[in-house]
Amino acid sequence: MTTRINIGPVHPSTHGVLRLVADIDGDTVVNLEPHIGFLHRGVEKLVETRMYMQSPPYMEKLDYVAPMSYDEAYVATVEQAMGVEVKERAMWVRTALLELQRIASHLLWLGTMANDVGQFFTLFMWCFKDRDLVLRLLEEASGARMFYVNMRIGGLIRDLPPGFEDRAREALDYIEKRVKEYEDFLEKNPLFMERMKGVGVMDRDMAISLGVTGPVLRGSGVSYDVRKDIPYYVYDKLNFEAQVRSEGDCFARYKVRMLELRESIKLVRNALSKMPAGDALGMQVRLILPSAKNREVRVSRELPRGECMMYMVADPQRPYRLSIRSPTFINLAALGEISKGCKTADIFAILGSLDVVMGDADR
Amino acid sequence: MKIERSGLVQGARDLKTRGYSYLVKITAVDYEKYLEVIYTVRNLSERKDETLEVEIDPADAWVPTVMGEFRAADWYERELFEMFGIQVKGRNVERLLLEKWNGKAAPLRKNFTWNAPYETSDNQ
Repeated sequence: MTTRINIGPVHPSTHGVLRLVADIDGDTVVNLEPHIGFLHRGVEKLVETRMYMQSPPYMEKLDYVAPMSYDEAYVATVEQAMGVEVKERAMWVRTALLELQRIASHLLWLGTMANDVGQFFTLFMWCFKDRDLVLRLLEEASGARMFYVNMRIGGLIRDLPPGFEDRAREALDYIEKRVKEYEDFLEKNPLFMERMKGVGVMDRDMAISLGVTGPVLRGSGVSYDVRKDIPYYVYDKLNFEAQVRSEGDCFARYKVRMLELRESIKLVRNALSKMPAGDALGMQVRLILPSAKNREVRVSRELPRGECMMYMVADPQRPYRLSIRSPTFINLAALGEISKGCKTADIFAILGSLDVVMGDADR
Repeated sequence: MKIERSGLVQGARDLKTRGYSYLVKITAVDYEKYLEVIYTVRNLSERKDETLEVEIDPADAWVPTVMGEFRAADWYERELFEMFGIQVKGRNVERLLLEKWNGKAAPLRKNFTWNAPYETSDNQ
């Protein structure tokens, strides 16, 4: 006999407002369905009524853990629609900032995920402290701590301030050391390993058929990383590897993100040292003429949570339609399938390893 | 690649046998005279994307399900119905995806009335 239990929508482990309805038999999950929509703001409809450069603030609020990544994906779509080339230095600065954003996002994920599996608040506090170092760098570069809106057509709102490179290196050296400590803290802990290893296994075929993306897909042995496979900006000039693990369990997804943290640190250092001098400023918003050259544009970006594909049908003044393929939406859709047959408490380990942000799923 | 509605499932199946086994996204655009439903699929080993574009009449808006070919289509097809009012035939949907949404209006259609009164529904 199965019992139906309700979890959420306001629950510390659901990472925002997510409601889970689980049918359980004893302690085993028979069926699980995520109910989304508590954070639905109709962004895709809203942007149809706004001029092109009025929309980045909406985009940033989709994924409030990695706002700059969404901002950049949207601005890149508009750039392609208008046929504007990004300035050389701006490409390097954007790459560095995007990778810093990825570090901030992964650090927040690490803290909350450790909370979900019972490593209460020690790691969470450490990660928040370290994330703040990155946020401070992003604040220097953009002027805001969390919602930046610093992308402009063709470049950025401002160039990096003097001395940014030194401060960034100092922060990255510290974070790199800390990442090692976190790994030791978690992986030498048998309780953590017990909760993660062999839990929520999703093999390669299942991952492909469920359409999951980003670190979740790479945790199941599929090597697909937009930065590597369809390089944009200067990713093809930088030396890094797409991180892949073949086990497909929660631990593999955890490990992929930990390795990505290191790769991102490497990428930022690399980008900062190779960055050419020059002008990185984009067009001022009031100077942008409404002129969409390409009617249909598709842009793929590797966000911290996975691949985001923006599909825009462009009108001269505003988007006729903007369709956002958000990574959390499709990763969350897979939660029910992955959780089948696991224990009730493992739902949260799996949910934590998917790294969901509800604003991104609901749009 | 443009395709007729009647050939959609076969088209999806053909793509899948050619290695396009990863569904990226199903979305739609309302061009007022017709609705265009766009299926983006990917060949992961060759890193190539392919699209299937189906034009349908807004008054007779339905598409056949591709759940048999791509399991990932599940939530996207439900989104199609909720946002565009496009019925997906050949599958059961027990409840709407977005909690408290009544599913009566189609917000991403161009003729959507912004300020119409709205009642929430309690769909389990």
